[in-house]
Amino acid sequence: MNNATKEVLLEIKNLRVEFGIKKKKFAAVDDVSFFIYKGETFGLVGESGSGKTTIGRAIMRINEAAGGEILFHGQKISGKISKELDKELTRKIQMIFQDPIASLNERAKVDYIVSEGLYNIKNYKNEEERKQKVAKALLDVGLLPEFADRFPHEFSGGQRQRIGIARALVMEPEFIVADEPISALDVSIRAQVLNLLSELQEKKGLTYLFITHDLSVARFITDRIAVIRKGKIVELADTEKLFAHPYHPYTKALLSAIPIPDPIREKQKTLQVYDPSCHDYKNDPPAWVEIEPEHFVLANKKELEEYKTASRV
Amino acid sequence: MSRKIDNLEDSIDESLFTFAEYDEAEAERIGYSNYSYWRSTFQVFKKNKTAMLFLTIMIILITFTVVQPYLPNQKSPTKIYIDPATNMQLRNHPPSREFWFGTNSIGQDLWSRIWSGTRTSLFIGLLVAIWDALIGITVGALWGYVRRLEALITEIYNVLDNIPTTIIQVLFAYILRPSIQTLVIAMCITGWLGTARFIRNQIVIIRDREYNLASRCLGTPTMRIITRNLLPYLVSVIMLRMSLAIPAAIGSEVFLTYIGLGLPVSIPSLGNLVNEGRLVMMVPSLRYQLIFPAIVLSLITISFYVIGNAFADAADPKTHV
Amino acid sequence: MADKEIIMSVKDLVVKFELRGRTLTAIREASLDLYKGESLAIVGESGAGKSVFTKAFMGLLDDNGWIDSGNIIYKGEDLAKYETEKDWLKIRGKEIAMVFQEPMTSLNPLRTIGSQIEESIELHRGLKGRAAKKLVLEILNDVGITEPERRYYQYPHEFSGGMRQRVVIAIAIACNPQILICDEPTTALDVTIQAQILRLLKNLREKYDLTIIYITHDLGVVANVADRVAVMYAGDVIEIGTCEEIFYDPRHPYTWALLSSLPQLGVKGEKLHSIKGTPPNLFTEIKGDAFAPRNPKALKIDFVKRPPYFSVSPTHKAKTWLLDPRAPKVEPPESIKKLRSQWKVSANE
Repeated sequence: MNNATKEVLLEIKNLRVEFGIKKKKFAAVDDVSFFIYKGETFGLVGESGSGKTTIGRAIMRINEAAGGEILFHGQKISGKISKELDKELTRKIQMIFQDPIASLNERAKVDYIVSEGLYNIKNYKNEEERKQKVAKALLDVGLLPEFADRFPHEFSGGQRQRIGIARALVMEPEFIVADEPISALDVSIRAQVLNLLSELQEKKGLTYLFITHDLSVARFITDRIAVIRKGKIVELADTEKLFAHPYHPYTKALLSAIPIPDPIREKQKTLQVYDPSCHDYKNDPPAWVEIEPEHFVLANKKELEEYKTASRV
Repeated sequence: MSRKIDNLEDSIDESLFTFAEYDEAEAERIGYSNYSYWRSTFQVFKKNKTAMLFLTIMIILITFTVVQPYLPNQKSPTKIYIDPATNMQLRNHPPSREFWFGTNSIGQDLWSRIWSGTRTSLFIGLLVAIWDALIGITVGALWGYVRRLEALITEIYNVLDNIPTTIIQVLFAYILRPSIQTLVIAMCITGWLGTARFIRNQIVIIRDREYNLASRCLGTPTMRIITRNLLPYLVSVIMLRMSLAIPAAIGSEVFLTYIGLGLPVSIPSLGNLVNEGRLVMMVPSLRYQLIFPAIVLSLITISFYVIGNAFADAADPKTHV
Repeated sequence: MADKEIIMSVKDLVVKFELRGRTLTAIREASLDLYKGESLAIVGESGAGKSVFTKAFMGLLDDNGWIDSGNIIYKGEDLAKYETEKDWLKIRGKEIAMVFQEPMTSLNPLRTIGSQIEESIELHRGLKGRAAKKLVLEILNDVGITEPERRYYQYPHEFSGGMRQRVVIAIAIACNPQILICDEPTTALDVTIQAQILRLLKNLREKYDLTIIYITHDLGVVANVADRVAVMYAGDVIEIGTCEEIFYDPRHPYTWALLSSLPQLGVKGEKLHSIKGTPPNLFTEIKGDAFAPRNPKALKIDFVKRPPYFSVSPTHKAKTWLLDPRAPKVEPPESIKKLRSQWKVSANE
């Protein structure tokens, strides 16, 4: 599929997010740039502390951008924005959280939880319509509408996660940031939720930013993947290309570390370890380079040469 | 470990080896648990025999204080009784059939004074506790949740907290005439500070939990986040603080009466009664004037304390086995 | 396997808990044989009972839990009969040691890591002072902590997650146990660190001649470390076999469902196989096969009578009526068949 003909839905330009106060500031996200096309599932993969969750929250405007911009449909949404734009974005961009227990208000009924967004943007004419929207959202995620009268603790982890998805869906968003949506779920339940997310994407034309630390899940569900380490994106490519031909040593180490549920292959595999000191960036700083069409890597001139010659072999 | 198949053949019907019907919706319904937070809380609370005992005592006591004036043969708490024979005030009479708790130094019936005093003190305590809760929770919630107000409220708190409460209460008693209103106002002025700080700390703990982030992403306004997301989690700790606030207020009142800033003698209160009793404490035969109000006061304080703590423990989900 | 010695044998173990006035049967007549020197993985989802099962071996059950019936035979003694802490102290740490999931909560934040390892040595191996310290440094080296002399004096918060887990492992092996139980040792760690820790455990197993039990829900980890795999569901070991047999030739419908729901085995664009519903309520008595209500291919007998073990090979058995000769032939899902063909290919190479 030719990416040049696709519409860019979300663009991140040189984003920088800082934490801490005054002297002790550190950049959780440092000069990150990428864009997400309409209708695709974009994977953001990294280990803990890499900054991937911070990027998701910056898009949702939970975290402030200290530098750079975030553009949605070409419009700037980071920094100070008007109330109308804010309201519009509340509807169009939604988030699914990691922990199905912590992400739902235990003291509220499912009906309130799912309708919470509706109450805020008043996207319905009367009580009847609101209830219908809630029922439809619950059915869309495979839950029964009668669940609206119950409390979250009465449901299993997978069901709770689906309630969280229903909560986001009822807003009829265009773009969903899914922050590790299946990491806290049991293995067999993950399949349910992954299937659900794919199904919804087809039915409703959604675009996802799928944040995860699990590359095998990313491989299954994403179209393109960005690998992030310590606040910087080190490689970005189409999913299969990334797996077939990674350039950056961190990506290679990450790929080799994923355990494969195939005993013979797994036991014969050699583990590649990433050593950050293999980069010498003092005199030759790295740049974000398009080494192949639609395949970007963070490298300096010397490394670029190495990668290119290695790939020709 | 695998049994011989021969044994099985005797007891199993061949027809059982066919496919059973599979109900998907039924599979979905399985994970239902009927754990109810409040029901578990009350169950754990009920198991605590001491707390239940004190709760019963308190219920009886409070009911009695309310009902007492309407019982037959009750005397007025302020009337000074005069012996018809000698035309002298019936001072310092020990407990008798006429005066169940005896009389005080001016001839007033101690029984009715104690119940009237308990009513007054409980009333003051309740008012102060409610005010404490309302203002304390509002300020604490805003302080804890709204980041922009955090610095400002912290400064205000620091200033107010450093002013000794006694000085404020002395000032008030000096400016205004002693009465129930004055006392209540004086105790309310600074009483809420502790609650505000406590609520603020609790809110800071839960403020960044994912469900609150989710509410923010959904555009929920601050007030609704506080009332529907945060405060419901704090109901148990709020109730604990309120239940402890009542005996604390009564204790304050006793103290203020001791230093002369309490209610006027014409309004009986536990503070007044304890003070009056204290004045005659040295005389063994008159000690009853101290003992009776002291017992009632202690009973109230201990009961609220025990009940409050037991409830707080019961409301902690970790104790719900 | 016939020439391998059995180091621990668990037979028909039943573990119950008292919860809010009701009794929960967490382990329902589970049996397991542990061979000396092997690496056994126990797989299952949360609530299956994996942790409870292994905690029962060490007497680490919560206060409201107890062993109702069954035997745990270790070195000729039945551990299930142990009642007092004194009995368990003979076993815990010295014979059987455990590594938990969260390294931060397993370590005392107020003591240096050196002193924590040394305490373990003093308790179980009777060494003191300089001899003990020397052993500590040796062990720190073995677990891959560089500059052990300096690190000895550091506190847990000065270590990263992976390093802390190494310290926890050091404490566990310091007493030279026979059996090491690792309860999700790498779940809280990043995947690159996880790979290193797993490699470390394999090396230690050789050097210290350990028998290791891994508890995990991650089938990738299982493929990496296990010689044999036991699959648990609803408090019972429903299938057990060599690692290759379980992955390439699973027989229990639950194992099929578990394997085929893995994204690694999924085909992009197609739905992943998923299991509807949730595990059964263990407060109530379960009739028949616990997995039956969630199994689209369940037989009528699955709801009536609990299946016994049926052997697939001398090393592989499963508790499912599908293996009974009278049962209809049921094919495993496509993704499983694909894996099986891969195995046959490599076996013939």
